[in-house]
Amino acid sequence: MKHLFTAALVSSFALAAPVAPTAAQAEEINVLMFGMPYTVGLAKLADDFEAETGIKANIDVVGQDVFESRITLSFTGGTGDIDVVHTPVIQVQRWIQAGWLQPMTDLVSEETTSDILAGPLGAYDVNGDQWALPFFAGVGLMSYREDLLEAAGAEVPQTWAEMLDVAAKITTDDQAAIALRAVPGQGFNMFIFPMVMRAYGGTFFADYEGGDLTPAINSPENLEALNVYVKLINDYGPAGAGNFNFAEVKAAAENGQVAFTVEGTGIISQLVDPAKSQFADVTGIALPPGGPAGRSPAIGVHGMGIPASAPNPEASARFIEWAVSSETVAKIAMSESFPDFTTASVAQNPEVIAKYAAIHPDFLTMRVAALDLAIGHYRPLIPEWPALGQAIGESVNAAINGLMTPEEALEQADADMRDILGL
Amino acid sequence: MTSHATPRRGATYELQRGYRLMMVPAILAVGIFAIVPLAGMFGLAFSDYHLIRGTNWDFGFQNFAKMLSDKRLMNSIYVMAALSFFGVALQVLIGSAVAVGLQKITGKWRVGRILFLLPYAVPHVAVALIWLSLFTPTLSPINAFFDLFGITVPAFLTSQWGAITAIVIADTWTNFPFAMLIIMAALQGISPDLEEAAAIDGATRVKTFIYITLPLLAPALLMVTLFRFIDSLKHFPMIFVMTKGGPGRSTQATNFYAYVQTFQNSNVAYGAAIAVMLFLMAALISYYVAKLNQRVTT
Repeated sequence: MKHLFTAALVSSFALAAPVAPTAAQAEEINVLMFGMPYTVGLAKLADDFEAETGIKANIDVVGQDVFESRITLSFTGGTGDIDVVHTPVIQVQRWIQAGWLQPMTDLVSEETTSDILAGPLGAYDVNGDQWALPFFAGVGLMSYREDLLEAAGAEVPQTWAEMLDVAAKITTDDQAAIALRAVPGQGFNMFIFPMVMRAYGGTFFADYEGGDLTPAINSPENLEALNVYVKLINDYGPAGAGNFNFAEVKAAAENGQVAFTVEGTGIISQLVDPAKSQFADVTGIALPPGGPAGRSPAIGVHGMGIPASAPNPEASARFIEWAVSSETVAKIAMSESFPDFTTASVAQNPEVIAKYAAIHPDFLTMRVAALDLAIGHYRPLIPEWPALGQAIGESVNAAINGLMTPEEALEQADADMRDILGL
Repeated sequence: MTSHATPRRGATYELQRGYRLMMVPAILAVGIFAIVPLAGMFGLAFSDYHLIRGTNWDFGFQNFAKMLSDKRLMNSIYVMAALSFFGVALQVLIGSAVAVGLQKITGKWRVGRILFLLPYAVPHVAVALIWLSLFTPTLSPINAFFDLFGITVPAFLTSQWGAITAIVIADTWTNFPFAMLIIMAALQGISPDLEEAAAIDGATRVKTFIYITLPLLAPALLMVTLFRFIDSLKHFPMIFVMTKGGPGRSTQATNFYAYVQTFQNSNVAYGAAIAVMLFLMAALISYYVAKLNQRVTT
């Protein structure tokens, strides 16, 4: 019965989803990724993989919405048409729970894993098994306009409270102080807001590490953080900031409409790149502000896993090992804007160092400092996180746009969390 | 007699068999790509299929019972109704006006027949990105223009009705050409003799339009409204790109909510139940509009 319905579900999506070729032979594998500088660079190197191994890799890089439809229909139907899948760390627990992935513990060599940064690698170690290998670890950093700070007679803010003070000095009718992601979503405002939350000592659960997953989203610490976040966006952000995503944040910084952004390394590296931003020469990089509980830079990890239905896991693992190898990653770091690699030896590559040092001398240093401070469970690593992040993000956005007070928003988020967790 | 009858029956049979064969591709296409998935969706809607909580394959009406007390679903229906009502009304109104204008106009202006089709050819995601830029104050040339005169254009996408208005405008921009095309085709089917006869009888242009043209256009107007309305129940790309369902949840139309339940909350069965509800709504509306259409045409 189950197969009947899953097959029907698959066919119900079939019209909307492009049909991927099935890997009929062992010499051909299908790789499904969504668009990022690394995946775009990887797709260009498919011929290298074939030349090296004799295995043809069809690397399909699609939009994130198409990606979600494709994997859902493929994995629920167990069609086996995907051999390697882009695996964001925030999804991995959910996918393991749903039986969508197979462990690769015995399929990848010690030589490969020993060259990967321990933090991102460990994020895919669940129940003693390795479920994916990371290729990307983006962390939160702050960019600031040195000229605007100097004109306002202000220092680089070290805490969110200081940020409020500095923002008040900088903001005028013609100049906004800060742009932050606000649009609802676990990968949008919920990539940024937890940096403020955790700086004030807020958490999602009563004791995540101790296993007590009682929601704690409506704590006084989180309320204080949400008030700061709302005030920064509404009082010191540009018009319409309540619907900003990373693209609008990046554009506002590039156009000189704001003095500060707190964003992932992928965006920050472009803001300080003279080839890409007209204000790059007066833009500095710092760690994201902290608070009474310290700093907690955002972290987002992406990797590659092997679907449970993949017919030839050995070939899949071979591709993943090649894709995270020092040689492949260095090529992508050179050809694309990709400083977020997790293959440790690439950080020693003189060409790569020279490229990113030329963009901004502090960039690589700050990235390492932020990686040191970031906690693996910045966004909780539980199967329900995508649903929880979506719900909390919606409430946070409602508070920003005045549909609810911050108190009401956190009460709503608490109720939603309990509903999703079945409490 | 008999010798003539047999070949005639044979010819009819052959002809009928030919017609049936012509329908085979459509039957296969509908059977494989519509009826089978639809049956699967109905099955899932009555199941407990959940990607995280585990599935016992218990079948019942639990998902439909849950709908009755689901405030988010009610909110999504309210949003969908607003988007559909205002969007379809504007598309039919503007499409009709442009069609009438294009039919009567002469000279170079007739190039509008091609020009006005362009928005319909743009993919919805691209349309949404264009309008997202236009409604984002820091990116919009409209805001920049009014800023020159010291006029501040409000930020549409940060209030519920502003965001709904923005989505309706984007949806209207890309879909009014469809209404225009259907109405133009219908207008071409109306004999000019009727208008001439009305003019000879002393009717004004306005009266001729109201009492002659409009009743003859009614079936086409009903059809275009029905098609656009059914399509509007599937609102997704504009919302996903322009607002992500925000501010808060205020632009989460029902189809978007089904996506959230299925893909974010992993509740595939409940997402399917919402999809079934949308399907039944569309089927019911189609049935009544078809009946109404029959009455209008007779």
